[in-house]
Amino acid sequence: MPERPRVVITGMGASCAFGRGTGPLRDGTLSGEPAFGEVTRFRADGCRVRTAALIPGRPATADELSAVLGEACGQAGLDAELRERCPLLVALHSDPEAAREPAAPQVTGDTAARLAAECGMPAPLRTYVAACVAASTAVADAATMITTGEADRVAVAAGFLVDSDSQALFDAGRALATDGQVRPFSAGRSGMLLGDGAAAVICESAAAAAARNAAPQAVLAGWGRAGDAYHVCQPRPDGDGCARAIGAALRRAGAAPGDVCYVNANGTGTPFGDAAESAALHLALGAAAARIPVSSTKSLHGHSLEASGLVELVATVLALRAGTLPVNAGFLGPDRDCPLDLVHPVPRPSGPGYGLSVNSAFGGANTALLVSAA
Amino acid sequence: MNAVTLAGAEWPARPGDPLIQLPGFVMSSFSPAVAQAAQRCLRGFFGPPPVPAALGARTGVVLASATGDIATAAAVAAAVDTGRRVPPLLFFQSNPNAVVGFLTARWGLTGPVVCTCPGGDVRADARRSAALLLADGDADAVLVLTVTQANAPGQHDHAEAELIGPPHWAAAANREAPAREADK
Repeated sequence: MPERPRVVITGMGASCAFGRGTGPLRDGTLSGEPAFGEVTRFRADGCRVRTAALIPGRPATADELSAVLGEACGQAGLDAELRERCPLLVALHSDPEAAREPAAPQVTGDTAARLAAECGMPAPLRTYVAACVAASTAVADAATMITTGEADRVAVAAGFLVDSDSQALFDAGRALATDGQVRPFSAGRSGMLLGDGAAAVICESAAAAAARNAAPQAVLAGWGRAGDAYHVCQPRPDGDGCARAIGAALRRAGAAPGDVCYVNANGTGTPFGDAAESAALHLALGAAAARIPVSSTKSLHGHSLEASGLVELVATVLALRAGTLPVNAGFLGPDRDCPLDLVHPVPRPSGPGYGLSVNSAFGGANTALLVSAA
Repeated sequence: MNAVTLAGAEWPARPGDPLIQLPGFVMSSFSPAVAQAAQRCLRGFFGPPPVPAALGARTGVVLASATGDIATAAAVAAAVDTGRRVPPLLFFQSNPNAVVGFLTARWGLTGPVVCTCPGGDVRADARRSAALLLADGDADAVLVLTVTQANAPGQHDHAEAELIGPPHWAAAANREAPAREADK
């Protein structure tokens, strides 16, 4: 059997409350200062929690997506001709305008189609809507399209901007932190906080990138996905599904647990979710789990729902390339249900190896993406 | 791998086919319709739940919808716009993953979960997503679910389910069926 193509990332773009561009995402996450503040974009006085990490002003999802995809294409050196032949996968949250439009054809609106037209790419095959694993699932599909020879390169873009509906929905579900901070894996954690986020990557076969002298930013060495088969919205407490996703990513990369130098955890800051993820990391990584530095960058830029997997993948690559691991902000003290080597109170130098970006979602869906700096 | 259609089902299957409500899901037909088609398909192939563990571990789920759950999104928007508190149950069903979680827990399907809104032919694209999972190797079979929610006069809710997998599963499923617990 011929060897499957290696997958590299040749371009990245990002936008979040720290600013527009990968530079602000890198600098913001390495600053260790969370970006949360009072919600002023919309009236949230009916909500118990009125805190989120927001891009200032009145950003629009379509504009943020266009900017991050443009940034990624620019870094990857994709000219108009290459863009025309580059499949585009998009992950999006429901569009609040579509929810208010009589006879709206689709909950995600026409954002994805407009993005493709604006960036000179073919219409997206589909929009990924699988909650907090939507974007990471799209990355796994992009990688599969490349390894199976279906495409030489695939663009993936994802975006979520906090809106009144999502804030009210997560508030009603009592999922939001009541003390203004996300405290993943910490004693006293009380929940998550939403955050604006958009990101894009250009995934490409290593051979195709080399043929056009494109410099890889990272190697996407492994990816895995698995389900919990446990509950409508709660994670499986023993972490089995998440652990199998991590195991699949390691196997695909031919890597051992000891080869992982950093975990950017799903780490939403919810009591049950973090405990289940900690169990998953120990199940998948064995004895190495206690020694691998872990943080959740959601503690800094917030939870970007459908876009979170891509924002966090880009944050992971940026950290590896900078040689510095971001802190797990908001840490108050150890929780015996989460025995992990958390990066706090200051960033830590990164050792050599793979970064593992983990995401879990409603319905027991789990993904793991394994990357190394190129 | 040579994957074939192992089973299929739809809702409604005939005029007047009743929609059975799901516990914990309210105000929208999206999740009940998906569940009804899916469970007919799974029961038709495997018998009563759960699926034999060895097969369930290798079965993923793709849920594709042209519309998404428009009714739930509209109910949330209506509550927000009128200053009412959003019913907490809408939080739990606000994403299509939720009904997949219901199905996978009941039937013991622990493969990957993918939920999409395709732009063109929904069933064709759902099969394409399933083909990627099979090619990727994280699943040997995929339960492919498609649903359209009526959102304008003259439209009707409709959900379809198709189990795609290796031909030898038919023999394996039938052999193990009598040993499993009866459907409650």
